[in-house]
Amino acid sequence: MTDVAYDPLSSAEQPAIQPRSAWAARLTHGLLALLPGLAFLIFWQWASGRLIKEIYVSKPTAIAARLYEIFASGEIYPHLWTTGQELVLGYVIGVTGGVVGGYALGRSPQLATIFEPYVMAFYGVPKIALAPLFVIWFGIGMWSKVALASIMVFFLVFYNVFAGVRSVDRELVNLTLVMGANQRQLTYHVFLPAAAPFVMLGMRMAIPYSVIGVIVGEFTSSTQGLGLFIHEASATYDPAGVFAGIVILLAFVMIAGALAGRLERRLLRWRTPSGHGPSDI
Amino acid sequence: MSDCVLAFDGIGQDFPAPGQRTTIRVLDGISFEVERGKFIAVIGPSGCGKSTLLQMAAGLLAPTRGAVRHRGRKVTSVNTEVGFVPQQAQLFPWKTLAENVELPLLLRGVASSERRERVAKALGAVGLDGFERHFPSQLSGGMQKRGSIARTLVYRPDIILMDEPFGALDAQTRMVMQNDLQTLSLEAGATIVFVTHDITEAVLLADHVVVLSQRPSRLLANIPIDLPRPRNMFEPFRNAGFEAAYDAVWTEFRSQIDIGRAH
Repeated sequence: MTDVAYDPLSSAEQPAIQPRSAWAARLTHGLLALLPGLAFLIFWQWASGRLIKEIYVSKPTAIAARLYEIFASGEIYPHLWTTGQELVLGYVIGVTGGVVGGYALGRSPQLATIFEPYVMAFYGVPKIALAPLFVIWFGIGMWSKVALASIMVFFLVFYNVFAGVRSVDRELVNLTLVMGANQRQLTYHVFLPAAAPFVMLGMRMAIPYSVIGVIVGEFTSSTQGLGLFIHEASATYDPAGVFAGIVILLAFVMIAGALAGRLERRLLRWRTPSGHGPSDI
Repeated sequence: MSDCVLAFDGIGQDFPAPGQRTTIRVLDGISFEVERGKFIAVIGPSGCGKSTLLQMAAGLLAPTRGAVRHRGRKVTSVNTEVGFVPQQAQLFPWKTLAENVELPLLLRGVASSERRERVAKALGAVGLDGFERHFPSQLSGGMQKRGSIARTLVYRPDIILMDEPFGALDAQTRMVMQNDLQTLSLEAGATIVFVTHDITEAVLLADHVVVLSQRPSRLLANIPIDLPRPRNMFEPFRNAGFEAAYDAVWTEFRSQIDIGRAH
């Protein structure tokens, strides 16, 4: 046996790193990454009122106080609840539509030649411009925001899945057919796993877009939601309130992104670290 | 011939020329038969349509003229009674080695306990036990190739079609793989159609060498190789009669190689 396996888990040449020092290294890394952010906050705090009027930019301590206030008084919870529902619904509907549509058009060249020009044309439409129209169609409530978020998410996921399914190696498909696969087995064992990196990439990229869709929808017209909260704070010259709303959105995007990253690593553990999947943007 | 399992019967194939209305004739009236338990090597200059013949036998491509018959039945759709070993290993990157080898059995509805047993046996036969849970990206090129062969052997196909399977391997790995393939095919009594462009490989492995001409390909010769088995894959010249057999193939083949012309 002359073959040698590459096994990242048990490479004998490299001395094993002590768990404690590894933990310490991670901590140092984390602290180093925090430094620029911390420096920025300190500068902001110092500059506010000195270089720029506080009424324009507020300051970190005021924003923290405002955040505490809106959570302590419970003022923010109805807004959070509404926006949260809109985000989840818009995201789920958009991703589902994108995966199903992208998969169908990716698998069927006939469908692709008929529908791709239309999808392409609608892709070019700035979705934000549809916001007022959606309010007319779906009303001032939740569903106009869900529609806007899901349509933004849909196109991103659609194109990724479409490209993913079309990039599947024809020879691999033929090989699986010779092994005895029917169409359903082909989907499950070849097309879905092959498209998975593209689906995951689309899902991760779609998170901020769903937030944009929902917030723009709420700006346009709404009765409740974080977008409305930010809009009202801005209208009443309350920059601390605006930034408090933005901090909440930031936290949401970061948490959702981290969850998607974990799911991706779990589902795609077969890929080597230097893998040759679709490139990130 | 009663023992004939696969017959190529007057195969002709035209491919559309890119950007033109005319077609390119690739194969022109190729006929030969494959007997049960025999090892057939198909050799020809590059671009002569050797691989196309295999695709036809697997039912992935319909010939323009003529027909491929598998045990007397004309091949018209995907032929799941053959096994296909492609040039690249083409293991599923998202499945572990064991899952890769298990897949054909899973697709054919073999019970789980029998699957486990046969996968273990197939991996053992190609010398890959202990690597069941590795992903293909964690295996060397030679090991991936062994996995690909195990995945074909595991469902005991009637005929194994191999498309330049060792072309991409380094010289040493290649000799080891040729030796192992000889052992495996003798043990299993497998029927193999093996496409290659390497005369030494063809002569060492095959019972019959089919020589094709340049495009449009015709069958130049079907040469029996009567060297005793097992043959020495590492020192080809030590096999009694090797030189004569090589010479017989080379005599047919040399006219098809023009030096200094682009292929």
